[in-house]
Amino acid sequence: MILKADYESRDESFKTKKSSEICFKCGICCVVRGYSCHVSYDSEKFNPRYTFVYDCLGSSDPARNPNIWLCVSCHKCEEVCPYEVSPIKFIEEMKSQAFEMGLAPSLIMSEVENILTTGYAFPISSVTLRLREELHLEPLQMKAIEDLRILSSKTGFIDKMLKAKENHI
Amino acid sequence: MKKFAFFKGCFIPIRLPHLERVSEMVFKDLDIELVKLDDFSCCPEPIGFGLNDKLTWLTLAARNIAIAEEKGLDILTICNGCYYTLKQTDSVLKGNKELKDKVNDIMRDTGHRFEGAFEIKHFVHAILEDIGLEKLGEKVKHPLKEIKVACHTGCHLISPVEIFRFDDQYDPVILERMVSALGASVSDYDLKTLCCGWTLSNYGSKASASNLIRDKLKSMKKTQADCITVTCPQCFYQFDTGQAVASRSYSLGFSLPVLFYPQLLGLALGYKLDEVFYERHRVKSSAFEAKLEEMLE
Ligand code: SF4
Ligand code: SF4
Repeated sequence: MILKADYESRDESFKTKKSSEICFKCGICCVVRGYSCHVSYDSEKFNPRYTFVYDCLGSSDPARNPNIWLCVSCHKCEEVCPYEVSPIKFIEEMKSQAFEMGLAPSLIMSEVENILTTGYAFPISSVTLRLREELHLEPLQMKAIEDLRILSSKTGFIDKMLKAKENHI
Repeated sequence: MKKFAFFKGCFIPIRLPHLERVSEMVFKDLDIELVKLDDFSCCPEPIGFGLNDKLTWLTLAARNIAIAEEKGLDILTICNGCYYTLKQTDSVLKGNKELKDKVNDIMRDTGHRFEGAFEIKHFVHAILEDIGLEKLGEKVKHPLKEIKVACHTGCHLISPVEIFRFDDQYDPVILERMVSALGASVSDYDLKTLCCGWTLSNYGSKASASNLIRDKLKSMKKTQADCITVTCPQCFYQFDTGQAVASRSYSLGFSLPVLFYPQLLGLALGYKLDEVFYERHRVKSSAFEAKLEEMLE
């Protein structure tokens, strides 16, 4: 049995993406190498009888399923699914819930913090500065920081991030 | 001369600045002016950042678009990730007045306002629409006729297809046409649409990403490709650093250098390998270098 969550918990976790409930378990989204899900064909954890998408959609507590972080948001699954299920939307929603619960990978936590505090997704090292100088590229400036602070506090994201950091394990 | 607001993103200026330099060089040669605006922030990055809070993602992206709009400029990106964020934001907000008003309301205190009156382009769109492949072909000084190129367009320039409407998601051909315009031949390898694995490597599993790149490289090599070309710095990173790592784990027994499309274009315009900063790459191939040298003699 693939969708093994009982109906109630399924209904709770699927409430934002009802279409996931209609997954027909045909496997098409994961079995055509190169044209379907990039995660499923390769990993030792999955096979055509137990695909990555089954694992994500069928989990009893999908936001806590560590495998959701394997999804690369490539859209292949929704492009090939004959039943318009869109596993990507479901998985992305679960990642968002997991972030709030403090379950996102550390790299995501630090990337979010970098963007909100420096305007860049990645830290600027002395290597970057040296390379830019060698290439005669202008030094990196960031004038957006105050705007980013205003916008992310107005959307409530700063609070969300602080809460996620507190919960982060 | 066509002018764009140059949206460099984060990954290129921080991790791969030579790709920024080479883009500036070749677009200047193609009469495309890239205007540098230092008010832009990270696009913001769509997966690690964007998924956590869609409204913040859209708002920060709308702010970036607004900055270009205030200067009366279309945006040109050199990264699939930046394009994925900015183009989707532009399209979503243009199609949803309520959301657009909400985002503009959030932005009010910053003095910026998103209108959606300008275009968001990746450099491939500028090459196809503002230059044209025929004119591009006329600019070629050194047709790369002995070189066989494996093209990797990457996921986020093609999908979501209903918004991007760019290429066939099952058999992408546009980058191949752009490579043919430079006189090179293209490799018809069977894992063309397989992801580069950058996201998988960063947020998921490094080992899975390494398996993926190994299989993709083998599939390219089987067709006697001399090099790879990409349109995205993250894909570039996977095929360069990711290949170096996979080579160590799997003893691949071959190396396939990757060139960012503007580097390949630069070679066809007459630059030498070192002038497009090939020496900064992790993966090099003496066979490829020799072939190129012989051809350019
Ligand atoms: S979006 Fe995620 S689930 Fe869908 S095919 Fe891509 S990696 Fe697999
Ligand atoms: S998501 Fe679609 S393609 Fe995948 S198993 Fe379910 S019905 Fe089939």
